[in-house]
Amino acid sequence: MRELRVAEGELSDEGLLAGMAVGDQSAAVTFVRRYQRRVFGLAYSMTGDAGVAEDVAQEAMIRVWRHAPVFDPRRGSVASWVLTITRNLTIDALRMRRAVPTDPDDFAASALRSNEHNPEDAVKRGDARDIVRGALALLPHEQRRAVVLAAVYGRTALEISESEGIPLGTAKTRIRTALMRLRAAVEHEEGVSDEQ
Amino acid sequence: MNDDPIDAGCDKYSDELAELALGVLTGRERALALSHVESCQRCADELEQLSRVADTVVQVAPEVEPPMGFEVRLFEKMGVSDELAPRRTRKERRERAHRHRSRSVRWGTAAVAVAAAAAVALGLGLSLPSSNPPTESAHGTGHARGQVESAHLVQNGENVGRVAVFGGKQPWMSMMLTDDSSVRGTVNCVVVTKDGARHHVGTFTVSPDGYGAWIAPLDHVDPADVRTAEVVSPSGTVLATATLS
Repeated sequence: MRELRVAEGELSDEGLLAGMAVGDQSAAVTFVRRYQRRVFGLAYSMTGDAGVAEDVAQEAMIRVWRHAPVFDPRRGSVASWVLTITRNLTIDALRMRRAVPTDPDDFAASALRSNEHNPEDAVKRGDARDIVRGALALLPHEQRRAVVLAAVYGRTALEISESEGIPLGTAKTRIRTALMRLRAAVEHEEGVSDEQ
Repeated sequence: MNDDPIDAGCDKYSDELAELALGVLTGRERALALSHVESCQRCADELEQLSRVADTVVQVAPEVEPPMGFEVRLFEKMGVSDELAPRRTRKERRERAHRHRSRSVRWGTAAVAVAAAAAVALGLGLSLPSSNPPTESAHGTGHARGQVESAHLVQNGENVGRVAVFGGKQPWMSMMLTDDSSVRGTVNCVVVTKDGARHHVGTFTVSPDGYGAWIAPLDHVDPADVRTAEVVSPSGTVLATATLS
């Protein structure tokens, strides 16, 4: 059995981006290998099309490579930046190709399957992703759909009201209530974590 | 900026903050909400917290292994030197293509993520959908395609990790030791099949803090026959065991 250690795994995301910003190709290679599964996974989860997802994922990585010098850590994490780029490119790709995106229920289901399903570990690690996954699972179905449609697919309240066949006010309420519940879950778990 | 806890405008805009945080508020509504936030610390704080959660929703998407050759094509577009990336990538491609003949092992958190996803699928009573992406697990998994077995790795009665066995044409397994396991150094991975036969899957190294994660092909072993997976010391002592079925 041969072991392939990821020595570059010691470097932070911010450190890798700093290297990329000055043209360090080895940093770019490490960054790609660290993020390619998340980037491709998001694009694939939204499109259900491996070809489109690869195009999007590659474009996202290239943009990160080119725009690394302008990344501002004060505005959010590297992961958030990279995946927001990916999400926006995916939305653009879907519109340009007039492709049908995956159903938000399918996105949510695949996201929940990727949970390690161990809330205690999630809290211990302080991983907001796991906490949000758990909270998403607990949301009423219609609220989960609404917040995924908005957060992931970039749908406005008006678009959601039309696609879901509900009044605009109801769409807004679902979005807001869902996001507030997710925030409450994160705050609760962070509070628990702090007490420990 | 208004720091008062209650601002007459806050109620008016509270409903808009969620959509603003999600980036789906448009036009005049967006302009008005932003204008209020700029003058209200309470709503600015609220918006920041909601935005953080909104960003996280995008991040919960599952990790998926890109198609074969993804790196090669990407690094070519990026203009990354052959000396840095493709050399390793070609090696990985060979390893993937000949996984069934190879006993080499790739380490990586991605593999663990795939395993965890599959493990959760089992835990939730779900099977990996046939429409799943072109990950190695989705293409050739399961004792029947799309199935997986997973179990906790137990050491002295404590869960110290996870094992998952994937079937299909090219069966493989993953194993993860959490960083609080007491396993250290070089150890062996052994699976025991239903006929009692012991199959050495490979040798690997656990970090000084007790963390380790790896995957390995299951050559000449039918995943359906695997009953236990063991972490075994070089002297033959079984350090941790996972009972798969």
